[in-house]
Amino acid sequence: MSSLALAGIAKSYGRKVVLADVSHTFTPGLTLLTGPSGAGKSTLLRLIATAERPTRGTLSWNEARLPDARARLRRVLGYAPQAVDLPEDLTAREFAMHIAALKGLSLSAADKQFGAITDAIGLHADINNRIASFSGGMRRRLIFAQALLGAPEVIALDEPTAELDGETARKLSALILERAKTAIVVVTTHLADELAPHAVATLRVRDGAVA
Amino acid sequence: MSALAITSSSLTTSLARYWRSWGLWVLLLIAPICARYMLRIDDGGVIIAIDGKLPEMTSAFIGVSLGIVMTTLLLPVGWLYLRSNTTRRQPWQVEETTAASRVAIALGRFGADCMIMLTTLTALTAAGWFLAWVLIPVQQLNFAHLTFALWLVAAPALIGLCALRILFDARPLLRSGFGDFAYFVLWIMSLAMPAIMAGQTPSLATNMADFAGFVTPLQYGAPGDAGDFAISVGGGFDVDPGHVQLDVMAGLTSAGYIPSRLLWIAIAIALVIIAGLIYQPHRAKRRAQRAPWLAALLQPGAPPRADPHAKAARHAVAGALNLVMAEFRLIGTGRVFLAFAASVTALSAFADFRQIASPAALLVMVFALSAHAGRSEARGLVSLTRVASFAPMLRRAAFVIAGGVWTTLMAMPALFRTPSLEMFSTAAGTGLIAAAVASVLATLSGSGFAPRLVLLVLWYGYSSYSG
Repeated sequence: MSSLALAGIAKSYGRKVVLADVSHTFTPGLTLLTGPSGAGKSTLLRLIATAERPTRGTLSWNEARLPDARARLRRVLGYAPQAVDLPEDLTAREFAMHIAALKGLSLSAADKQFGAITDAIGLHADINNRIASFSGGMRRRLIFAQALLGAPEVIALDEPTAELDGETARKLSALILERAKTAIVVVTTHLADELAPHAVATLRVRDGAVA
Repeated sequence: MSALAITSSSLTTSLARYWRSWGLWVLLLIAPICARYMLRIDDGGVIIAIDGKLPEMTSAFIGVSLGIVMTTLLLPVGWLYLRSNTTRRQPWQVEETTAASRVAIALGRFGADCMIMLTTLTALTAAGWFLAWVLIPVQQLNFAHLTFALWLVAAPALIGLCALRILFDARPLLRSGFGDFAYFVLWIMSLAMPAIMAGQTPSLATNMADFAGFVTPLQYGAPGDAGDFAISVGGGFDVDPGHVQLDVMAGLTSAGYIPSRLLWIAIAIALVIIAGLIYQPHRAKRRAQRAPWLAALLQPGAPPRADPHAKAARHAVAGALNLVMAEFRLIGTGRVFLAFAASVTALSAFADFRQIASPAALLVMVFALSAHAGRSEARGLVSLTRVASFAPMLRRAAFVIAGGVWTTLMAMPALFRTPSLEMFSTAAGTGLIAAAVASVLATLSGSGFAPRLVLLVLWYGYSSYSG
């Protein structure tokens, strides 16, 4: 069984300590990161997604420590940050293929998979349109969709349902729960939503500590 | 809020952002470091020759030399800095819904830009003093002459540059890549225009044709029989032994020169006011109404039917090759690019390759490469792409290879017509080098703007050079 372990993780920006001594082992299933705004949820998610390095402590993927195991982890990672500077002049499909190429995926298969994911979240009709014409909610769904490309074993999603209406949020939640059956899915949210009952763990981040 | 208060607020806010940016310190370092190479010391530097001879080194001549290089070669660098650096991003959505006068805001930003560029000129002046101290006997040193000459030549041009930046931020079309291209054309014109006044008696009218301000200081104070003036960077011609006596101060104080420099400053301020008056707010990109046939041609079409049971994509067997192919497709995204690329390919079937087809291919690639490099290196996107399987450096390598493939493909008809290794290397090399330059500059700046402008300058050099 896959596992992603954090041991004594701390993260500081200058003198500002954002996370202090966080330890947890993630296993397949849904883990929610909750807490007030500015508590450090997104920072913890970025550490899990290898977008940042901890100031102290170690991350291990399947018991192999990072940074040695970073390339292996990235090969099976899907990450949706809260905000991405999307290339406005590309269509959603072109952008997704760009990400698929960077993930080393077969482009024709990734194209089909992207069609299926966007169909499930109500974005498929617009995938040939330029991102410049997208609303905030459509952009959010596109960022979400690219994270699911391939068969990621670790999926890190930062506030995936923010800015979405209730029905669309439910569609995303259904996909998240589907993926959580086999993958480690870590989702930050500052709201208790419908995902909570299905979570194998809920970590509350507050004042740099995790409870 | 009064207009003065708005100008003051705009000025101080912009300045605060400049002071806190690392780019400013790089700019301040560039001028003094470049100063060493702006002067003819040993065999390097910029050569200013009159009838094949170097002018005698005086404080005023050093000032004019530094000023000339600043107003010719470094104007694109200044444009790059102002257009792509710290204050490029503004809170338009908020600013444009306030009742504040756009003229007042524009004047404040213009003031801040001017202070930054003139601070750079101050750094260059200090470097000029040091170089003069090294190059000229102490008893002949005159720091006042050096400073006067340098500032009279360079300051109006830099202030004009700042005004153009504000003007080009006022309208949607000029904010785009077209604005960069328009600036490039203006810059080339500013270098070519002085030829009109060469040989004429200096007056306000003739000096106004010389935005860069270098003709009169060199021509007026030269010996009466002097006829040939040449400026070269890093060699290009041999100079004869001996020196020409050049009275630079006489040129600077000749009829019409100082008024022309002051008039350029007044024009710059007027341009800023015009920019405020014609300012058009930013809007979400709206496509202009196209002719039905064009709309149908550019319509991407409906996406393929989704298969809800599509399997998860597996890793490609040749992932690196996949990446090159993806970069190749993304460089060539859009039917407009494809139409241009097809035209250039057809052109290479019958036109001269080195003089016409290759420069045409490179020009098409300048826009395509800078667009894709810029979008790939956008700061907010790199936060996502850097955690992908392929590291950003591998993507950049794939981008460079894909650039070379595009220019090679466009040259295929010419290669079939007259196969040669030299032609193949030129075709592939232009794409590879242009892509490498675009990648490096986009990585450093986080946008496609800097690569576009630099590649346009390089393209101009490539298309003008017949070797």
